[in-house]
Amino acid sequence: MRNFIERPRYSCALGGALATVSALPGAIPIMHAASGCAGNFAWAQSGGTGLQIGGHCGGLSVPSSNVQESEVVFGGAERLREQIENTFEVMDGKLYVVLTGCVTEMIGDDIRAIVTQATSAERPVIAAETAGFRGNSYFGYDSVLQSLFRDFVEKSGSKVKNKVNLWGIAPMLDVFWRGNIEVLCSLLAKLGLDVNAFFGEWDSLDRLRTSSSAELNIVVSDAYGVEAARLFEEEHGTPFITIPLPIGPSGTDTFLRKVGEALSIKDSVVSGLIEKENETYYRYLDPLTDPYNDFDMQRYAVVIGDCNYSYGLTRFLADDLGWIPELAVCTDEPKEELAEVVAARFATLESGLRPSFVFETDGSEIVRHLSERWPSSRGERYYHAFSPAFVVGSSLDRELAASIGAGHLSVSFPIVNRAVLDRSYAGYRGGLHLVEDLLGAIVAGR
Amino acid sequence: MSYFDEKEPPKREDRLGACIAHGSTICGLANRKNCKCMNDGDRLFTQGSICQLLPALAIMDSFADSAILLHGAVGCGSCAHAQNAVTKAGNAARGRPAKDTLWLSTALDETDVISGGEAKLEAAIREIDARYRPGDIFVVVTCAPALTGDDVDGVIGKIQPQVAARLHAVYCQGFKTKIWATAYDSVYHPLGRDLLGLDPEEYEPLFARDEIADMKDEYQRKHAVNVMTVSSMGRVDELELQRILASLDLTANFFPLFAKPEEMYRVTQAAVSISTCPTHDDYLLYHLKEKYGIPCIISTMPIGIENTGQWIRDLAAFFGIEKQAERFIEQETAELKSALAQFEPVFAGKRAFVSAGEIRSFVTAGLLTELGFEIAGIRSFHHDEYADAEYRKLAAKTKEDYVVNIANAQPFEEANLLMRLKPDIFLGHWNGNSTAAKLGIPASVIYNTGLNFIGYKGVFEIARRLYKQLTNTAYNRKLSVHVRLPYAESWYGEDAFKYLRQAGGEASA
Repeated sequence: MRNFIERPRYSCALGGALATVSALPGAIPIMHAASGCAGNFAWAQSGGTGLQIGGHCGGLSVPSSNVQESEVVFGGAERLREQIENTFEVMDGKLYVVLTGCVTEMIGDDIRAIVTQATSAERPVIAAETAGFRGNSYFGYDSVLQSLFRDFVEKSGSKVKNKVNLWGIAPMLDVFWRGNIEVLCSLLAKLGLDVNAFFGEWDSLDRLRTSSSAELNIVVSDAYGVEAARLFEEEHGTPFITIPLPIGPSGTDTFLRKVGEALSIKDSVVSGLIEKENETYYRYLDPLTDPYNDFDMQRYAVVIGDCNYSYGLTRFLADDLGWIPELAVCTDEPKEELAEVVAARFATLESGLRPSFVFETDGSEIVRHLSERWPSSRGERYYHAFSPAFVVGSSLDRELAASIGAGHLSVSFPIVNRAVLDRSYAGYRGGLHLVEDLLGAIVAGR
Repeated sequence: MSYFDEKEPPKREDRLGACIAHGSTICGLANRKNCKCMNDGDRLFTQGSICQLLPALAIMDSFADSAILLHGAVGCGSCAHAQNAVTKAGNAARGRPAKDTLWLSTALDETDVISGGEAKLEAAIREIDARYRPGDIFVVVTCAPALTGDDVDGVIGKIQPQVAARLHAVYCQGFKTKIWATAYDSVYHPLGRDLLGLDPEEYEPLFARDEIADMKDEYQRKHAVNVMTVSSMGRVDELELQRILASLDLTANFFPLFAKPEEMYRVTQAAVSISTCPTHDDYLLYHLKEKYGIPCIISTMPIGIENTGQWIRDLAAFFGIEKQAERFIEQETAELKSALAQFEPVFAGKRAFVSAGEIRSFVTAGLLTELGFEIAGIRSFHHDEYADAEYRKLAAKTKEDYVVNIANAQPFEEANLLMRLKPDIFLGHWNGNSTAAKLGIPASVIYNTGLNFIGYKGVFEIARRLYKQLTNTAYNRKLSVHVRLPYAESWYGEDAFKYLRQAGGEASA
């Protein structure tokens, strides 16, 4: 039982929920919370999400009831009612999502009653319970999806062939969310699928509303949005599959095969696409051959990320790039069942490598885990060192990298030292980007 | 009885009658009959803002060798990701290792909220003390444990004898006050209670107390000035003030940003304390005066030519070195003005809109008028008595009256005002420039730790930045063609203060 978390690499449920709603085109979040929550998340993004803050209605633009002591004493229901009504007048939205915070859930405001009263066909209002003590930002992402699927997505009688929904990439928590969503949608479109990813370039609230006609839900995560997928299946009868976030050729081959199987797409179609994409990937890699080998760019690696990235990156490094990940760290705290699923993935690497895998929330403990895996020097003349090495993690892992003389690239949250707009690490193209960025870091001082 | 005898400081609504919801004009505010007080209004529509936790962390994160333990849900303190970058850069600028701030969260869950988080807090403090060995642990009380009624002072009192670190409670419940400036009092409170009284001999033992040591102390007591710093001041701003003080044969003791807790007692050994932002420091400065007999000067922020001059004159008057100060001011001002002449053609007659913290917004507006700009409007995050002098200075300077909006951010009011006023440039607080930017207005940040704002050098550096920003405005201009703010079209046709309910009648813009 842990007593604290060192520099948590996510915010609370409300933070994740707010980022999720802000990422939905046309949606307006209404926070029913204390005044500081919005600014807290804006500052977190300012230092954590690669120079992306807010969105259409994020940052300090978010309507918020800003409850005070008087609401704590007398209840915040009236304040929320007034706030919703005036939000309709001031903000330009097509969907309003009320998100609760610690204070308003602890004082027990009856949000459901207020929302039921306020919602209408022209101005749909839904709510999600996202008090910070309920969970972390990933929980908030899942909660918002659940509310959307339960209260916004329309029931539909029949399923449309080749229509799928895709989620599992939490906006902002995955700093590369926009690029990753786009890459995976483009790829699935090549299989002839109509993909609805809710937060992507081609998505809209109307598409989300009619997403129940999809024949399959694809969750590119073992962890994030899985509860929402269960709820979707119960409510709308669409089955789901979970596949780890695919990064690079090996992971993406698996991803396409799983999707093909689930939708009974002809094997020749799937194999054809896989072959073509690999051809392209390796054609880009071809001119790198001399430098990669001449500069001995193979590295030992420590991988640090969330449930999605810790495995996705490790698989890419081990099975595609030919590096040697020795330690993989997942900074989440999943429940036992999920933890086992995630941990089991690391025993299936095609390269046969079996890195140590740990769940560890505290960055400063990672060096201890590494020394358990790789004995430190005892002053021997010929010490087989953990070198040359590389740390793929967050910007909080730069101190670790420096302390073991390793290179470093920020990929998982928080990323304070990079600018990220449409960059992706998912898919084949994402693998190429990752090669560019990893090797780019190695030669930066050249 | 002092505020410092209480467990936590009072909120500023009570202590200073501070308020956040008001719409008026500069002349309207300057000519109020009953200065000081202004009854706070309310908004019927509000946007998210910050709470005292954020500015409090911005200060505490900089304390050397300290751990900041957020007692609350896991999200409270996420803002530290941004502050961490500032702290690292600040340490580097001061020649210290650029390490990540040590902040942690008790990450209270549903069980803790139901059964209380005291046991977890106690265990966390013990483990942090053992694992990281910090000199001080600042336990920050957030909304959730305040509502469950965790007795944080009780926990601290109980285990302090058993741990090596000094333990402090910092009360930052977001729902408690609308005035986030209460944060400064929240941080100063434990400093005043626990740290200023530390025995110097214990931390900086002298080999022997001899004549030299006595002379050194004596010199310190006659020439050292406590210069109160704010988290928006980078090292470059400190160096400018240090230069000014040195020209008057005075030494600067910058406090509290980047201070080492065990050396904080040094502020009790100075000749005088001077504020660099009146609304920031009064809580501690009056405490220093009452308890340690250190007189204090709280008058203005040394931003802009006139206010920097006033700041120096106030200090000089205290030391009786007015003539020396006047010579310095005259020479500095002449040199600066001739350097500014090159920018005059670009700035003359351009209309600027300013939005920032209370004092900062008004002194920056003053600076802009010195550069040749006209003021189109000002938004200030809160109002208290310390702004009255600045209202009067600005009112005396302006030919035409302009809007002053007291608002804890609330960009919807700002969007409406900007659409109407169409200023040539907008100067906003960090995280407060995007509304103007998306409307195509060039923006200039007025709170970015590390940029120079203060003193004579600050005037020149601000002018240089404005010149640069006005030279090519393409980024925001093009952005505004393609990106929309989240407000309904109809909102721009309404009165900006439509949702403001203020004492003494309705406000209108």
